[in-house]
Amino acid sequence: MSEYVLELKGITKIFPGVKALNQVRFQLRPGEVHALMGENGAGKSTFIKVITGVHRAEEGEMFLNGKKVEFKGPRDAQAAGIAAVYQHPTSYPDLTVTENIFMNHEMKKHGMIQWKEMNKEAQKYLDELDADFKSTAEMGTLSVAQQQMVEIAKAVSTHARIVILDEPTAALTANESEKLYHIVDKLKEDGVSIIFISHRFEDMYRLASRVTVFRDSQYIGTYDVDKITNAELIKQMVGREISDLYPKPEVKFGGEMLRIENFSRTGYFKDVSLNVRAGEIVGLTGLVGAGRTEVMEAVCGITGFNQGKVYLEGKEVHIKNPTDAGNYGIILLPEDRQKTGLILSWGLGRNVTLPILDKFTHKGFINEKEERNLAKDLLESVDTKAVTVFDPASSLSGGNQQKVVVAKALAQDNMKVVIMDEPTKGVDVGAKAEIYQIMGELAQKGYAIIMISSEMPEIIGMCDRVYVMCGGKVTGELERSVLSQELILEHAMEKSTKKEGA
Amino acid sequence: MAGKSGRTINATPENVWKKQIFSWEGILVIIFIAVIILCKILSPNYTFTNVLREMPKYLSEIFLLFPMAYILLLGEIDISVGSIVCLSATAGCLVSNAGVPFGGVVIVILLTGTICGAINGAILVKFPELPSMIVTLGTQIVFRGIAEIVLGSGGSVSLSNTDGFRMIAKKAGPFPYVFFLVIISAVIFTVISVKMKFGRSLYAIGSNRQTAFYSGIRVKKVIFTAYTVMGLFAGIAALFLTSALYGANTTTGKGFEMDAIAMAVFGGIATTGGKGRLVGGVISAFIIICLRIGLGQINMNSQLILVIIGILLICAVLLPNITGNMKLKKKAN
Repeated sequence: MSEYVLELKGITKIFPGVKALNQVRFQLRPGEVHALMGENGAGKSTFIKVITGVHRAEEGEMFLNGKKVEFKGPRDAQAAGIAAVYQHPTSYPDLTVTENIFMNHEMKKHGMIQWKEMNKEAQKYLDELDADFKSTAEMGTLSVAQQQMVEIAKAVSTHARIVILDEPTAALTANESEKLYHIVDKLKEDGVSIIFISHRFEDMYRLASRVTVFRDSQYIGTYDVDKITNAELIKQMVGREISDLYPKPEVKFGGEMLRIENFSRTGYFKDVSLNVRAGEIVGLTGLVGAGRTEVMEAVCGITGFNQGKVYLEGKEVHIKNPTDAGNYGIILLPEDRQKTGLILSWGLGRNVTLPILDKFTHKGFINEKEERNLAKDLLESVDTKAVTVFDPASSLSGGNQQKVVVAKALAQDNMKVVIMDEPTKGVDVGAKAEIYQIMGELAQKGYAIIMISSEMPEIIGMCDRVYVMCGGKVTGELERSVLSQELILEHAMEKSTKKEGA
Repeated sequence: MAGKSGRTINATPENVWKKQIFSWEGILVIIFIAVIILCKILSPNYTFTNVLREMPKYLSEIFLLFPMAYILLLGEIDISVGSIVCLSATAGCLVSNAGVPFGGVVIVILLTGTICGAINGAILVKFPELPSMIVTLGTQIVFRGIAEIVLGSGGSVSLSNTDGFRMIAKKAGPFPYVFFLVIISAVIFTVISVKMKFGRSLYAIGSNRQTAFYSGIRVKKVIFTAYTVMGLFAGIAALFLTSALYGANTTTGKGFEMDAIAMAVFGGIATTGGKGRLVGGVISAFIIICLRIGLGQINMNSQLILVIIGILLICAVLLPNITGNMKLKKKAN
């Protein structure tokens, strides 16, 4: 028997244009709970998918109990006793718990499914986990915590020896988390090895004996949990050097442009107040799911809100839909370029001019020549890499698509406030720098800018002021002079340290 | 903030003639000519005046094609229009028989259709999660149901005073009035779809509803307008249908919705939204009508004509797929 039940060496995974994993290694001891930590986009999820056979690594080796293995697909990993439980359970909501547990490995006799035995067996697994629901219940009627329990029961039913939990506590209340800890302890007693991904330090201290840190697709180190301090660990997770990637210009702020007060939407965010001045770049950060995007979508009239007021240049405004927001000059550059930012099948030109059709419509008719020339100028002003304005948006890279989205915003003459949601997500470093450049120029021109971002370096590099959100609330407002990754992270994780439900 | 690299982007469109000829609309024109030649060979009576004389009974359906094309471009569908035609025609006949002057009858017919269309639109805008197929299936049953209740046990109503209806069924030379109205409508609907903001919005919503919404397009208003216009044109279709039948019954307008959808799809307008052109729909409508008249003249069984048109439709939808696959294979090699 080898020292490690699972060992990976030199794993490299390349997606078109990006190295998602770069020479990563990992060692899992039998019966241990091993935490895997890192920022959003550090490569944790990709790494898990390599282990479970969803992705195949370009380079590297994987050993199971000392023997080299190669998974061609998720089935191989399952057969080898590896099971994964994801943050959002990938279940069949209309089927029963039993059917979900035995999906793809039903108990059959002469080709007939043995319902009675299966229900009984499923109930046995649920009882072992102290579940408070029946195996005949419909999956969709269960809470997220209960659904996770089903996923774990499924892992147990396949006799998995290695169980991977991907942010299992992200959607759970404190009580439910406690229950999950018990289940993990139980699995550990049975000799199951567990890989545990979480943003919450609390989870790690409570469960794990060792922790491995990834950053920027690379392996940083593996530490004993009781030998590393919180501060040290955070430094390992975020401690990259900030270069001159961020050309932040010195801008003298003008008057207040946008202010929102006591903004609330049940189930999404509560009592959010913030403001931004002309020429100022304000960051809105926090972990994924903290409610940042939701706040800004409500401001722009994309979704509704229950309470709160919006002021533009000191006057209260009522925004009911994105058209209103556009008329007031509040422009949102959405996070998902493919779904909400662009029409991929359309040419670049028409994408850019979609919000400003009135501008070159005379007596009801669109002047297409005027339209094309306007689009050409705008696309050139942000330096889009394209041949003609007729190139379909789908033919561009992520960074260039983002530039088109920026051009689309610039097309709106009355623009006052620019809200950029994760402007550099999925964008390579070169294009990133260009987008920061444009952002700086916009600030110099006196636009008020709000940048929603999970990437600490760009928040610190570009922002004059930062609001940190956690669990739907603003947990901190930090000036540029005091900004540090540790401080931001502390506020972003407030929920887990103070242990209160949202 | 000019581009730092000095890179320029071309904004001049290529010569479009070549593109036009090899487009689906180009192929449709060829099919149209082929159909006319075929009918001419089959039937000695297939002359210009004869075809025009038989045209009015089919033409009322074309009124449904234009707004249906808009709704398909939006990525939606409306299968209640046949029932709207029935209800509008019924309402018109009843008020006419009650002694209302012809002008009032016209208003009643058009208003009935418009209200029905607006009901469809209002439901879909209020409950965006409902599929339009199901909503309009429901109203299809409801609208025809109301017509059947009103028509009562006899199931039909005949006009007692046909003067007004005879007037609109008149001709100018060999051309029936309705023919001109169809052409004018075709031009207006086509121009709106390619040259105006409303048309651009249709394509934007059909291509990516979310992006259109985020970009400030008034998605709900556009959808509501399209369905209301659909209702109005169902009313117009009912008006001309009544002027040909001098009455209405429970099967009036049955299957019209499918004919309109077939014409649009044959014309290259995708049911998934955002793709296709009005011109194609109009050409394909005339192909189908001319083929029906020709095959009717040689006394071909009307059910068999339907079978032929059905097969043609499937071939038309398959063709771009087959050529598309061939192109992909070429690329792969």
